Amino acid sequence: MLQTNTPGMSTTPLSTPLRSRVSQRLLQALQSAGCEPRQLRWFAISMLAIAAIFPWLGGSFFIRLGIEALLLGTVALSVDILLGYAGLLSLGQAAYFGLAAYISALMYLHVTQSFWLVLLAVLITVGALSLALGAVAIRAKGVYFALITFGAAEILSKIAHNTRAIGGSDGLIGIPVPRIPLLPGIRLDLADNLAFYYFVLAVLVLIYLGMRRVLDTGFGSVLRAVRDNSDRVPYLGYNPFWYKLLAYVLAAQIAAFGGLIYPLLRGFVAPHLFGFEISTKAVVVALVGGIGTLLGPLVGSVIITFLESVVGSYTERHLFVLGAIFVVFVMFLPDGLLGLARRLTRRRSGRS
Amino acid sequence: MEDLLSYLHFVVLPQMIDALIIGAALALVALGLTMIFGLLDVINLAHGDLYMLGGYAAFALLGWGAGYWGAIVLVPLLIGLVGWGLEEAGIRPLLPRGDRAIVTLLLTFGVSLMLRDTAQVVWGTETHAVAAPFTGIASVAQVFVPIYRLFVLSISLAVIVATWWLVYRTRIGAVLRATAVDPPMVASFGIPIRWVYSFTFIYGCGLAGLAGVLLSPIYAVFPTMGHDFLVLAFAVVIVGGMGSIIGTIIAALFLAQVQGLASLWIPPVWAETLVYCVMLLVLVLRPSGLFHRIGEA
Repeated sequence: MLQTNTPGMSTTPLSTPLRSRVSQRLLQALQSAGCEPRQLRWFAISMLAIAAIFPWLGGSFFIRLGIEALLLGTVALSVDILLGYAGLLSLGQAAYFGLAAYISALMYLHVTQSFWLVLLAVLITVGALSLALGAVAIRAKGVYFALITFGAAEILSKIAHNTRAIGGSDGLIGIPVPRIPLLPGIRLDLADNLAFYYFVLAVLVLIYLGMRRVLDTGFGSVLRAVRDNSDRVPYLGYNPFWYKLLAYVLAAQIAAFGGLIYPLLRGFVAPHLFGFEISTKAVVVALVGGIGTLLGPLVGSVIITFLESVVGSYTERHLFVLGAIFVVFVMFLPDGLLGLARRLTRRRSGRS
Repeated sequence: MEDLLSYLHFVVLPQMIDALIIGAALALVALGLTMIFGLLDVINLAHGDLYMLGGYAAFALLGWGAGYWGAIVLVPLLIGLVGWGLEEAGIRPLLPRGDRAIVTLLLTFGVSLMLRDTAQVVWGTETHAVAAPFTGIASVAQVFVPIYRLFVLSISLAVIVATWWLVYRTRIGAVLRATAVDPPMVASFGIPIRWVYSFTFIYGCGLAGLAGVLLSPIYAVFPTMGHDFLVLAFAVVIVGGMGSIIGTIIAALFLAQVQGLASLWIPPVWAETLVYCVMLLVLVLRPSGLFHRIGEA
């Protein structure tokens, strides 16, 4: 297929002949995501080891910050699945985070104390919304997808802000800290910070391994093909729409898990959970860690959360720092920290 | 019947006039957004913050004694210059990349955060009032409108018409439209594309700055004013068709009426939500907006 260089064509990423060295790097980073499992596995294992000893490095504030980083990591992971594997930039992934947080808060306050019922409600609601919204957003191509997801999250945020029944701009407070019956006879008490931390870490590891597995199947291959050239995939007999939609719903559920847990950590929910700031922070985090790596967003989330906490204790200006990180990574390190690490190790092994 | 007429006259009509004024100012911001997208394929998320900077620049210039008339001339130039800096330093290096629509969107988002925070550092988080040059109220057929708002309306409409004329009736416009369709072809005629892009950026950002000056005496200035306005401007650009001049003008006027009239019957905060719902509906029915992109037909 002849590629022309009209602006409209650039909505299919990475397919124009004009490609700078920078974006070639990005391309390499994306392609090698699934191709170097051994290197990535060692990196993942060492990260997991660090995460496992992490709670003993500091006090309870430290642990709770760690939990928060992991929860933000779910949103970043869901951004990464969409952008890194399906080529869809979502600027409204906080919609599912916020929705799940509100459902979780409302059910714990008024309906039930059963974690599993809350989980079920979140799965169903988020599934239904992401199916409907995804069907609309995916039909619109390229940047329109970003704008629709942005607009939809904005609507949800406005609704939460303006509905007095769910607390309006103040949100909801006083959400109880539940005990979760994991197995018959074993109850997990979330009031215990350590238990809380390891619970979230364990679920995140399961999600990570699950997604790695899913993306290594034929589904993942088709998805990558869709990302690289959406126009050509139908000729191979696959309908890109369904693959993107499934990826979208999966990603929404992952962000929703973070939202489900968040009110249990902080004891409150507020309209800003739907907001632009969380959606975009998730994109920064994914970008900093490395798009298309699944692991990068989790690493990036921990780095950014702690960086913000440190910067925040010196100055109020953490938004400026966040913006500056964004600019630097977009312009100079488009494949993120993981890509940087990979380039460094590759160069070393290339020399030896 | 009598009741209905007076309801239309005294309730609906003033609301429509107000909405017309907001719509015209909204069109200024959205026009810059749509031109930049139409030519460069860049969604400028910092556009709202340039509008905000316009408001603050007006506030600062008035404080230094430049006067309103000084501000209305200087601010668009100043903001155009800021936009030019953004284009030179940030956007230009990213343009050759195949995924430029996405990376420039991310870049301008980062810039937007930095601008907003800078405004908070320099001017604080509180709201600043800006004095209007006129204070009188005009009354036509018993409908009262502040003269300043009529002034905003006439300036906005004049600039909108001038922009339309520039794009569709001048040589510069011909170059702009051609560049939107086929930049290599335009370049092969010996026209420096990078100056076409710079011109578009300066002009578009200048429009946002102008809107900032014009609206600052009406809404006052505060750090998040850009974000709120940007979301609305996006709705306009999406409904009108990204990159369409005519579509953007019509959509701005239309959506402002939707919001204005709806807030007569439902709370204003819900009227805003309604605008986004209209946007989503348009996207469902016609994913590429209601009108053609600049340069196409």
